[in-house]
Amino acid sequence: MKTIEEINQKIKDGDAVVVTAAEMTRIVRDIGADEAAREVDVVTTGTFGAMCSSGAFLNFGHSDPPIKMSRTFLNGVEAYSGLAAVDAYIGATQPHRDPKVGLEYGGSHLLEDLVRGKEVELLAEAYGTDCYPLKDIHTNFKLEELNQAIMVNPRNSYQNYAAATNSTEETLHTYLGTLLPKMGNVTYSSAGELSPLLNDPLFKTMGLGTRIFLCGAEGYILGEGTQHSTEVDRVNGVPVGSAGTLMLKGDLKKMDAEFLRGATMPEYGPTLYVGVGVPIPVLNSEIAHQTGISDQDIKCRVLDYGVPRRSRPAVLETNYHDLRSGSVEIDGHEIQTSPMSSFRKALQVAEKLKDWIEGGTFFLTPPVERIPSKGQTVKPLQIKRPSILVKDLKSKEPITTTPQDNISDVARLMVDNNINHVPVVDKEGKLMGIVTSWDIAQAVAKDVPELTQVMTKKVIVAMEEEPVELIARRIDKYEISGVPIVDRDNLVKGMITAEDISRLVCSHQNKGDGSL
Amino acid sequence: MKAWLNFSPEIVNQAVISDLIKNFDITFNILKANITPKGGEMLIEISGDQAQDGIKYLEEQGINLTPAKRVVKKDEEKCVDCGACVSLCPVDAISIDEDWKVELDDQKCIGCGFCSSSCPTRAIKLAD
Repeated sequence: MKTIEEINQKIKDGDAVVVTAAEMTRIVRDIGADEAAREVDVVTTGTFGAMCSSGAFLNFGHSDPPIKMSRTFLNGVEAYSGLAAVDAYIGATQPHRDPKVGLEYGGSHLLEDLVRGKEVELLAEAYGTDCYPLKDIHTNFKLEELNQAIMVNPRNSYQNYAAATNSTEETLHTYLGTLLPKMGNVTYSSAGELSPLLNDPLFKTMGLGTRIFLCGAEGYILGEGTQHSTEVDRVNGVPVGSAGTLMLKGDLKKMDAEFLRGATMPEYGPTLYVGVGVPIPVLNSEIAHQTGISDQDIKCRVLDYGVPRRSRPAVLETNYHDLRSGSVEIDGHEIQTSPMSSFRKALQVAEKLKDWIEGGTFFLTPPVERIPSKGQTVKPLQIKRPSILVKDLKSKEPITTTPQDNISDVARLMVDNNINHVPVVDKEGKLMGIVTSWDIAQAVAKDVPELTQVMTKKVIVAMEEEPVELIARRIDKYEISGVPIVDRDNLVKGMITAEDISRLVCSHQNKGDGSL
Repeated sequence: MKAWLNFSPEIVNQAVISDLIKNFDITFNILKANITPKGGEMLIEISGDQAQDGIKYLEEQGINLTPAKRVVKKDEEKCVDCGACVSLCPVDAISIDEDWKVELDDQKCIGCGFCSSSCPTRAIKLAD
């Protein structure tokens, strides 16, 4: 019905009708998609959310004498320097090198400081070569002094995303914010009806070369982002969970800190708030229909982040209208919601992009290659190196005692077998407690007659099917020296001690394999 | 009114608060308390017909009372209105207004600090 060239001519003539995605939702509702397609030329979308997969390539220029930087720190945040001599990539989530600063100042904060024009400290190390003799450098610079500062974000602008809650008894700190115990709150992140990829769910108008709004400047879509996925559940034509993504680029030097912010998800780490707006040319009524999608039509699943696995169970299917109302109902309880991404800023992005187009300073570009709309799935990472399980450890026959045994017999048992831990079992061989040589020494010193008075009743155990690494972490966490191995019926199968684990690590190191 | 009560080490072992509640017609709510044998402080909300008499009584008992003007402060420059804090507030003191701006109601706030420790841009600070 319309072409991008025709729309660009209208923009040039100052005649283009441009509306935000939120306005388009009302227009399509009022006059229908066919009429809306005739009246509206461009729909501007917007989102302003935490996008961890973001960063920038920097070129510092050559010093005299020259240096081939192999490690680079910007205000104490490491940038990846495995590139040519003075190129580096600063990633948004990189924490500060000083653990005391740690997560409070990271790559994202550095990017914001650069955009704000602040002076930044550069520390670089090198091994020195004939052509690059300098081995270290310590200086300061500002963004404007760099040759290039090109933002390249491998994954931005997720097409929908799960909402989160937490069924456990403890507060969780996640990339979706703080989750209160016992499903005390729900957090979500998509901008819903304003979100770029929810307004063009099959990427009919966008791809490599699409000019966009990125952090207050003009940017471009480079193609699909990492973890781009198309084979997902859809309702009303849009995915109900995370699906498509975009890889974006833009000139950091032209960006505005209003639309780029360093942030830290508490106890999770640094992340960058990125403002993205994609203009969608309304070429036909199908596109008009898609851009007319409302918060009500966009479904979203609330997942239980209390389950620390890759696939988390859904506790509710809801929509962005309800999420944005401030609360949702789960099992008869009203639960408060938090957006995590700023709808206010998302609107500002869409409005700003609209102003640019209306003002005739921003023109649309047809994609050179469209973003894949089918056949894309997200593959998991298989852990192919099998972990060593507790049952794989060569365990001696379990040496146990019963509550009726007297202290001196247990002492003898320990000395004869050269052991420090003896599980206490009942008649069937089920675990009741554990005594250590220290407990026995205490019993003798204090003249305690009964074994049950000195044994530890709440015993930390290892299951036969558990990986040894997990047991090592458990022994460390509870500051103990060994744990009994039990089966599902609580029958004692053996003992695993800190010594066993250190021996295992040593034997692996001798084979040239440092880790378990 | 909300106020900070400062307890000196000399009075921490006296039942001042329970005497206050027994003897005066007041509504009294403890929002925060940190009292050790070395003294301490308590953030309270006090109202009712005899609130002024009650306050006088507290002062007579040697408790230093300073009205709490602000409990939390939000840096409007730093705040991006993401709303991460909204669902964490136990007393509904944080809301999103019709312009999608995050608003903090200082009157309702009890200074629990949950919003401030969870703010991604560190825009919310507890007032001293």
